[in-house]
Amino acid sequence: MSDRRLIVFNLLRGVAAISLALAVAAIFIFISSDEPLTALKYLLVGPVVSFKATGNVFNTTSFLTILAAMIPTIFSGLAVCVMFSANQFNLGGEGAIMLGGFVGALLGIYLDLNTGLHQVVCVLAGAVAGGLIMLIPAILKVKLGASEMVTSLMMNYVVMFVILHFLNFVFADRSKGATQTFPFLETARIPEIISNGTKLTWGFVVALIFVVIIALFMYRTKWGYAIRMIGINQSFAQYSGMQVGTVIILSQVIGGMLSGMGGSIEVLGRFSTFLWRELPGYGWLGITIAILAKNNPIFVPFAAFFIAYLNKGCNLMATYSDVPSEMIDIIQAAIFLFFAAEQFLAKYRQRIVVRNAQRDLALQETAASQGGINS
Amino acid sequence: MEQEVIVEQKEIVEQEDFVVQMRGISKVYPNGIAANKDVDFLLRRGEIHAIMGENGAGKSTLMKILFGLEQPTSGEILINGQSVAITSPNKAISLGIGMVHQHFMLVPSLTVAENIVLGMAPTTKSRFLIDFKKAVQIAEENAARYNLRIDPNAKVIDIPVGMKQKVEILKALVRGAKILILDEPTAVLTTQETSELFKELIALKEQGFTIIFISHKLKEIKQITDRLTIMRGGRSMGVYNTADISEKEISRLMVGRDVVLKVVKDKSQPTETVLKVRDLEYTNRWNKKMLDKVSFSVRKGEILGIAGVEGNGQRELVEMLFNLNTPDAGTVTVCGESIVNLSQDKIRNRGVSLVPEDRMTYGIADIASIEENVISDRFGNKRFNKGPLFNMREIHHESQNLIVDYRILAKSPKQQVKMLSGGNIQKVVVARELSSMPTLLIADQPTRGIDVGATEFIRNEIVELSRGGTAVLLVSADLNEVIELSDSLIVMYGGKIVGYFEDSSQLDDLTMGEYMLGLKHQTEEEIAKVSYE
Amino acid sequence: MIGDLLLSIFNSDFLYSVIRITAPILFAALGAVIAEKAGVVNIGLEGIMMISALFGVLFGYWTQSWLVGVIGALVIGVLLALLIGFFAFELKTDIILGGIAVNMLGAGGTIFLLDMFTGMRGNTGALVTRELLIPTVDIPLIQSIPYLGQVLSGHSVLTYLAFLLVWLIWVVLYKTPLGLNIRAVGENPNAATSIGVSVQKIQYIAIGLSGAMAGLGGAFMSMYYSQGWNSGMVAGRGFIALAATAMGRGEPVGTMLSSLLFGLAQALRTKVSGMQGVSSYLVSVIPYLVTIIGLVLYAISIKNKLKKRHAVTEGAE
Repeated sequence: MSDRRLIVFNLLRGVAAISLALAVAAIFIFISSDEPLTALKYLLVGPVVSFKATGNVFNTTSFLTILAAMIPTIFSGLAVCVMFSANQFNLGGEGAIMLGGFVGALLGIYLDLNTGLHQVVCVLAGAVAGGLIMLIPAILKVKLGASEMVTSLMMNYVVMFVILHFLNFVFADRSKGATQTFPFLETARIPEIISNGTKLTWGFVVALIFVVIIALFMYRTKWGYAIRMIGINQSFAQYSGMQVGTVIILSQVIGGMLSGMGGSIEVLGRFSTFLWRELPGYGWLGITIAILAKNNPIFVPFAAFFIAYLNKGCNLMATYSDVPSEMIDIIQAAIFLFFAAEQFLAKYRQRIVVRNAQRDLALQETAASQGGINS
Repeated sequence: MEQEVIVEQKEIVEQEDFVVQMRGISKVYPNGIAANKDVDFLLRRGEIHAIMGENGAGKSTLMKILFGLEQPTSGEILINGQSVAITSPNKAISLGIGMVHQHFMLVPSLTVAENIVLGMAPTTKSRFLIDFKKAVQIAEENAARYNLRIDPNAKVIDIPVGMKQKVEILKALVRGAKILILDEPTAVLTTQETSELFKELIALKEQGFTIIFISHKLKEIKQITDRLTIMRGGRSMGVYNTADISEKEISRLMVGRDVVLKVVKDKSQPTETVLKVRDLEYTNRWNKKMLDKVSFSVRKGEILGIAGVEGNGQRELVEMLFNLNTPDAGTVTVCGESIVNLSQDKIRNRGVSLVPEDRMTYGIADIASIEENVISDRFGNKRFNKGPLFNMREIHHESQNLIVDYRILAKSPKQQVKMLSGGNIQKVVVARELSSMPTLLIADQPTRGIDVGATEFIRNEIVELSRGGTAVLLVSADLNEVIELSDSLIVMYGGKIVGYFEDSSQLDDLTMGEYMLGLKHQTEEEIAKVSYE
Repeated sequence: MIGDLLLSIFNSDFLYSVIRITAPILFAALGAVIAEKAGVVNIGLEGIMMISALFGVLFGYWTQSWLVGVIGALVIGVLLALLIGFFAFELKTDIILGGIAVNMLGAGGTIFLLDMFTGMRGNTGALVTRELLIPTVDIPLIQSIPYLGQVLSGHSVLTYLAFLLVWLIWVVLYKTPLGLNIRAVGENPNAATSIGVSVQKIQYIAIGLSGAMAGLGGAFMSMYYSQGWNSGMVAGRGFIALAATAMGRGEPVGTMLSSLLFGLAQALRTKVSGMQGVSSYLVSVIPYLVTIIGLVLYAISIKNKLKKRHAVTEGAE
């Protein structure tokens, strides 16, 4: 199984891309900071280590807040995995997340249900809203060939302004200075797993369950299979008899549902009222995560952890040194570019492929007569 | 025999004025396929020199090397006696080499004149703006000088194929080409257009140009070339004076009947009609009539071959049969039910399967595994699903079986299809399409560009399938294949069926060639015999 | 209320503001036109505008010259676009992802860079003085024409440049050898290669030019429109530009018209949001909805055209 060597190569390549991105970050830090070593320390180990006079100890609380920060991005990462697997560059995750959060919040405020059921209903409603909104770019793509990328980008703004309208003119809690809704009912809140203020709610468990569900969906069901084949080669899929249009719509609706679900879980878990006044940014994070995960749902939590860790590191760095937290965007952009670069280190891959091909040829010659599998 | 050839070449080398000398050219592609093996190619100044060979013989690769599109793995190229490295088409152009590709390299929305001057557009005194008048003038002057009639102001999208080819030739000439490579230039032309082209080529030769003419059409070669180099399996089979070699000899050297894969099969016992095509018509978007009242039937248990030079409507026909395109008029029925405009899913459900001509576009998902590729038509079957999930054990079982049955040489069912050799990729496609036990199998160029072993295997599988009661429609540009494999045969020319031969075993290349080149055609009554109810 | 609205639309101030608001969208949209003609998708326009906007202010401040600021913004725009090109063409990063990466840089990276260079947070505050703004010009004859003068005269230099560029880019695309190459590369790269035109070189040029346009758009935003740089200033204009280009069918003049439509919608929003009983948020939706509707209409028209073509061939038999 010399394909294993390719897998190892791909892993090393990922590590190289990330290292390179961090190196870029380090360069920026050294240029801009008076205390670069402190900044780097907080960036790289700060998220999980408390620096105390008595020595450095593992910082459990901080670690748990990193896990908490993964909740919405696991969902948006999964959403992007599904859509990008079908080769649909739908960038509407942002809008779907905000909409899901908003719908979930409204039901959390105005619906009267028992706890347990209430959360489920709110989250499902958020998912449905997210799925419905994605129907628009999806149908326009399939029926009219309009670019899902542009329409979904536009939809983000439409969704945001419509929500802001309702937030300001219909559902606003006038007693508060800031624009926000009334608080959610206690029954709708998603509780923390351990009540410690880290916001690590049961949503995290749900997110992990969905990682498994989506992984199964993509690799163990006919629909996921069709999505992946369409993404690889649409002509092949059509010729094979797959319902290409339906599956393309399905992929985007599922992306929307996952996003909407992530939005509602985040809102009901982290806050007590709906107070997003702009697009939350998780949609774009989802793209980074899906790229890091190579569109494979199983890798999404790891990628989400990595991004959440970096984010936390950047925040700490901004707090304890003179480097602004927006460093995260530079690191992300660099990771993004190198990670997605097919040809990055391609020479080495080529060498492996050629070596494998040569060995196969030799194998082929000896085995040509009998055929079959040589494992 | 081979020794004689070498001796002959050595003599030539000492005497002649060669404009191009390619010596000991070998080319191994990264996927391990050796397309050229120690090929010598010598071109005299001012001759029309044919390079002949079947599909996959290595002609195109050799010419791509000469035009700088590919780099040789080893070997030497001399132009006008000077050793050169042709690293890019640019370099080739500067050395006076021009190439007219089989698939036109034109920009449809630009005018003929703009296409001709592309990359070297004349400018006005400001040196910023294109001098369109001058561009048209250049086009017209050159057209007149070389007697190639074109309309410089027409958009390329609106002109007929024959004119497009002239534009391609002009493009090369305007760039100072003295050596013209024409890659199967007549494949897309009508008879009149072909004879017009030949007149033009002879005129160019008289003006001192050297022309390399890639083809596998005997008649044309005989008609127009001075010498010819025959290629087979990546090697040169020698260079000959066209006048001194018989068509039979060329054919023997080219198709190599001595190593031909004989297909052993019993006589067919056709029963009821499966596929009925009636009066199918299609005009493509360039207004060329690609299918003109095409009617035929295929019965259970027989293989009906469609022979013809590529571009005579075969591709369009297959597209119509699988709803990859919609006919303008006509009917297609399978077992009495119309399949026009049905989704591929439904067509497959009626028992139709297709080995597509372009396996990389339609046949496979390249970065998916073998397993994922062989189940693409059946993954929705109950057998492969348990509730909402796949039944992975059944799927593994199925793919293992197909890999063994169809002798797909792979490390594991999880291997990416694109890592396989061409022959094994095709076996993946064939495994899927044949194992569904179709009522009707459409095999479009089923063995193109693959190795001998795979070819033989696939042909035998097709025969076996047909003898088991499947109706097989075989479309092939490979004359050998279509004659050997088919029970009966129709020939397509210019979008029409021009001949029907009930027993292909009685046919020979020469008769076929006459039909394929449109020199002969049968009466309508004779052709109508293939349309049984 | 409708009457008020109509009155204010035909008000010269309003039309003046339409032109002003259109200019930055038009810059970026023209950038998208050039890229698209060469077969390149540049969705990094948004990020390029953000970063160029910042550097326009910085260069202007450092040299105390608005002109250097604008040129600096343009150069930065070109460099960023070439960066996308480098990753897309050399390292085979999907060009859409390359664009997204630059957008990330534009979103947060700019805040970081501003802090790094000046220690300021989120906006450039006092860096932009009156003298560093892009100057406006009165057009001699036109300014004295009543109404028309008020609409067309007194815009910034860059505003006029934006509309001038529509014509200039049309000339470049359709009347120059470079334009011929760009169109050939976009339509049939093999044709270009076959006669020795380097596809990659042309695509680098095209994406570089598109970056230059976005750079100018960024400079316009920070050095004239908002009179300073702040972190939310581009607000999706780069994306709207993509939509405008799609709606304008990738042609300079069509793109100008659709950009004007967006300008109109945005100006309307500003206008209407001041009115009683009108939700500025709902009005804000208009340009985006218009984009989607425009794309839909465009897609339908293409579909019909294909159908018609087929009908014609059938009729000819």
